[in-house]
Amino acid sequence: MRSLLLAVLAAYVVAAIHAVLAFVNKRRSLQRVSLWALAVGFLLHTIALLADWAIDGHYPLFNLRETLSFLAWTLAATYGLVLFRYRTQALGVVTLPVVAGLTFITIFIGVGIDSAGPATEFSATWLFPIHTTLVIFAYAAFFVVFVASLMYLFQERALKLKSFGAIFHRLPSLTTVNEIATSAAAVGVTLLTVGIATGMLWSSSRDGRIWHNDPKEIFAALTWLLYVFLIVYRSTAGWRGKSAAWMGIAGFALVLCTFLGARFMGGYHVFE
Amino acid sequence: MSILLVGINHKSAPVEVRELLAFSEQACAEGLRKLVDGEVVQEALIVSTCNRVEVLTSTANAHASEGKERITQFLSQSRSLPLASFNDHIYHWNDDEAVRHLFRVASSLDSMVVGEPQVLGQVRRAYSLALEAGTAGKVLNRLVHHAFRVAKRVRSETGIAANAVSISYMAVELGKKIFNSLNGRTVLLIGAGEMAELSARHLVNAGVARVLIANRSAAAASLLANQFGDKAVAVQDIEQHLAEADIVICSTGADHFVVTEAMVREALDKRRNRPSFFIDISVPRNIDPAIGDLPNTFVFDVDDLESVITSNIREREREAERAELIVESEIMQFQQALRALDLGPTIGALRQKLQDIARVEMARQRNRLGTLTPAQEKAVEALLLATVNKISHPVLSQMRRSNEAINADSMQAWREMFGLDE
Repeated sequence: MRSLLLAVLAAYVVAAIHAVLAFVNKRRSLQRVSLWALAVGFLLHTIALLADWAIDGHYPLFNLRETLSFLAWTLAATYGLVLFRYRTQALGVVTLPVVAGLTFITIFIGVGIDSAGPATEFSATWLFPIHTTLVIFAYAAFFVVFVASLMYLFQERALKLKSFGAIFHRLPSLTTVNEIATSAAAVGVTLLTVGIATGMLWSSSRDGRIWHNDPKEIFAALTWLLYVFLIVYRSTAGWRGKSAAWMGIAGFALVLCTFLGARFMGGYHVFE
Repeated sequence: MSILLVGINHKSAPVEVRELLAFSEQACAEGLRKLVDGEVVQEALIVSTCNRVEVLTSTANAHASEGKERITQFLSQSRSLPLASFNDHIYHWNDDEAVRHLFRVASSLDSMVVGEPQVLGQVRRAYSLALEAGTAGKVLNRLVHHAFRVAKRVRSETGIAANAVSISYMAVELGKKIFNSLNGRTVLLIGAGEMAELSARHLVNAGVARVLIANRSAAAASLLANQFGDKAVAVQDIEQHLAEADIVICSTGADHFVVTEAMVREALDKRRNRPSFFIDISVPRNIDPAIGDLPNTFVFDVDDLESVITSNIREREREAERAELIVESEIMQFQQALRALDLGPTIGALRQKLQDIARVEMARQRNRLGTLTPAQEKAVEALLLATVNKISHPVLSQMRRSNEAINADSMQAWREMFGLDE
């Protein structure tokens, strides 16, 4: 299993390095290498996750190690979708190093905190894995919003100041990054809504309560509100551009709080 | 064979000299046939543009030293010019340097505006003229195709031609940077400056769907609208149409702001904050620069455009350095290809020569051998050929090895050693 994950890591690192080099050097051949490496890494990663599931007997998204690995896989998949839809590799410059980094942490640092604990109890009900998968995918979508928003702000600033560097010329257009951010936010909110709903259902079937006031829930609710606000404003008041991009960045800060919140502040969502 | 290039360009000569040496297509075809004599000059090609005249030739090794003189004489005769009038301005390059020069010219590294795309087309045209005249042979064919390949690599792997270096094209480039695609966009053209009109024309070519033309004189507006064809509409009131326009190009003679902040504020509301892009080519300015502080609007005046162009030119120069590296690596590849071109015939000729010697000797001594059965006869011949092949084998492998090393003269040395050119 470990050697398979090492192969995954190697492929992701190759993909990340080539994506960055392709971005800096504008070489199509490097982009191709990056794409193929990503495809290989993603395939192996999928196999690794399935094997994990088969061997451990529970859905491979429970403890921190599994979560980080799954998150890396989700980010790779999401990046693939953006690539397919918008034909722009610029996002890979940020996404792929993150994917590689998460995989690295999974392999080398995550060993100590690998506790299989009471996993079987939770995965007995099918709602729990659906809840976690949806939420993880929502996070990945918000990560895309975040990166696209950064690219928007960077270019907007360059256009206002009329000073264009090499990076400016290599980013996709303002309209494109804006579209990416908008649709990723819409997808993210949808996933998060269903994700939270399944979580509530699962929780009510477990102890009859749908809300426990724990930090993760509060942050998740705030995150949900912020992105709903962003989408509604964007579509009704034509609230777009710079302010929307800042919202995308603030929203991601909240996502990070939600993701890490439980770990540092304790509460209902801590299972170890 | 050796490659020789004699030429003159915008750096080496003023236009007064260049224009005298320029070749029309007709003159080019005639000149090529005159220049190639099959003795000194074996193949030739002439690239003649407003910035350069380059005569590229392949000459026989034995006459390589006469090549330059041949070409300058040819230029002097065919242009009816005294040699002295241009001799100081010409440059000449041999072999690798000639190859480098051609690669740089084709990749637009030697152009006045680095990265301009026309020169490749001009080299292409020159090549097809040489093909028609029958003066491009195996060396130039290979060289020119290699030059096309280098130009393509440079174009796709460096940003040498990426950023606009003219005001009129800037509108398209910035427009694409903001809107991604210009398809379906609307342009509002205010006033009728030449530069504004040219910019609008570039935008239309890049896919803009509608051009609204506003002018103080309605007649002038509709006249211009007619020139743009069915995509253009003449409009009266700027304020009314501002909200429709994604791109506004302004160039009037007015001495006040034709587009004010209040107008744009209102338009932005109507546009529901979709981005809009203002280009002000007029001096004094016609678009209030304060508009640039509004959200989702981008205003560029003449100075802004000029400074972006300056930085784009710098960017192109940086990219040109990377292009030079590509050129260098391709020169090496070309050398190898060219040597392989030499190697095949040389090895063939050597083998043939040795086998011929064996057969001649065999024929000479045949009578003394008396009657032989066909099997015996075959055996004797096989014996001779096998001996020749076994002796020549280490020689041939040595030739192949020295050909791979960077040693362009070795092939000629081999040919001379075995008297293959006699």
